[in-house]
Amino acid sequence: MTGLVYKEWKQNRWFILSMILCGALPTVFLFEKDIIGDINTVRTFGTICAFLVAGGLQTMVLRGDDRKLWGYWITSTSGGCKGFLRVKYEMVFCMVVLFMFSLQMFDGLLCAATFDIGTTEIKDLSNISVPLIFVQLLLRAIDTPFTLRYGNKKGSLIKLIYSLVFTIIISVMILTNFCNFSVALFETAEKLFSGDNLSMVFVVFSVSVLVIYYLSYRISCRIYLKGVEQYDH
Amino acid sequence: MTTKKENAKRLGIFLLTVFAFMLIFVLCIKPMNASNTVFYIIYMIFSFSPAIASLIARAVTKEGFRDMKLHLNLSGNFKWYLLAFGLPLICFSAKFLLPVIISGHTDWLSGFTTQNILSSVFMLAALTAVQSIGLIGEELGWRGYMNQKIEPLLGTVGTCIVGGIVWGLWHLPMDIAGCEGAMSDAFAMCGGRMIQLTLFGVFLMWLTKKTDSVFPAVIGHYMFNESQGALANLLYQGSIPENADLGVIADVFEYLPMIVVAAVFMIMLFHDNSRTPKTA
Repeated sequence: MTGLVYKEWKQNRWFILSMILCGALPTVFLFEKDIIGDINTVRTFGTICAFLVAGGLQTMVLRGDDRKLWGYWITSTSGGCKGFLRVKYEMVFCMVVLFMFSLQMFDGLLCAATFDIGTTEIKDLSNISVPLIFVQLLLRAIDTPFTLRYGNKKGSLIKLIYSLVFTIIISVMILTNFCNFSVALFETAEKLFSGDNLSMVFVVFSVSVLVIYYLSYRISCRIYLKGVEQYDH
Repeated sequence: MTTKKENAKRLGIFLLTVFAFMLIFVLCIKPMNASNTVFYIIYMIFSFSPAIASLIARAVTKEGFRDMKLHLNLSGNFKWYLLAFGLPLICFSAKFLLPVIISGHTDWLSGFTTQNILSSVFMLAALTAVQSIGLIGEELGWRGYMNQKIEPLLGTVGTCIVGGIVWGLWHLPMDIAGCEGAMSDAFAMCGGRMIQLTLFGVFLMWLTKKTDSVFPAVIGHYMFNESQGALANLLYQGSIPENADLGVIADVFEYLPMIVVAAVFMIMLFHDNSRTPKTA
């Protein structure tokens, strides 16, 4: 297993280390403060941008291994494809955690610096960054099986098609009020996102994301060899 | 085979480096009080000082960077990860809730509704997964390096006691900074914490040896810090009178759960040690 960790580090170290820079990204937007607005807006805007950039970089680590020869070889090793995929999933998780840590560290520095120059109205950004980090984990849990099953290029395209089909079906159901769907959806949403339930919804979502991430790994283990058979090279 | 002399040398360099960081922190308290930015930067560096010290000791003594216990080792050890999450929560629940229940004030616990409890536990679980990593700055040094060097010199009990004292003392500069110069308050705070950390350190040492990874200790440490806040938050939601005083029973339960945990895991450490084959 150490060998696989070493291989991932050698292959993706710049992507892994770039997570630290992504965490520092909101501080860069301070130079554009006059254009964007007050300090809290800058931090929020910077945080969302940082999440988009970090998300893009996290998907890059899945590239390069979509080759037949590699797929068959790694499956024949003692750890099998499960060991390889476990290290891959652990690495992506570590990247997300590293990004979160870096983001919070640089945001803390930013807050301390702005407090020193006399700005006292500093908002806590964790109510944005913590939910976003779970959304990011959820997206990686969805991305990875697609990439492994269909290869990098085809996987992105098929994921896009699935997402579009899903969005169209839901939109049609809402617009046509199929089986009273839109009313039921609205009522459920109203109940879920009201008062005391809100925090419960968030914590259930957060823990569910962790479970989904694990299930994504199990799905990837099942479909990996099917994917390998379809890789181009 | 590493000799005792080599171990002592490595441990000495590690401890010297850690105490150098402590000295720098104490010397910088004045500029730190003057500027939030300076405070934040020095605080962040200081919180990683055990890990930095272990890396320095490894580099200086040419020990190398093997056996840093940085593998997750999740296979077969997931139950110990869950224990690392759950035990501090149970321990602090006993510390906070048992005195209230025993003294017949269950009406104070109105904040402990099923929804609130589930919400807090799930929130802690989710945050542990994504936010506990910062504590690797401590655990890489204490459990990942210091304990390994002390144990051949002082044995298991000695490691728990000396390791706990060092770990507790390391927090002293933060207490001094927090108490804004009131040294007696800082020493009282540090003393109380030292006892807690020495007792809790037994569990973290056992976890690290059992899983051969520092990550369960990172989770245990995170839960040690956060579960107290979560439980206090639920307590404040209840109807506790302002002059509430549970007397001696609260003092007993201040340390009793931790003493029980320390005793149980000390026995398990001895048990595991006796099963480990001796090498020449």
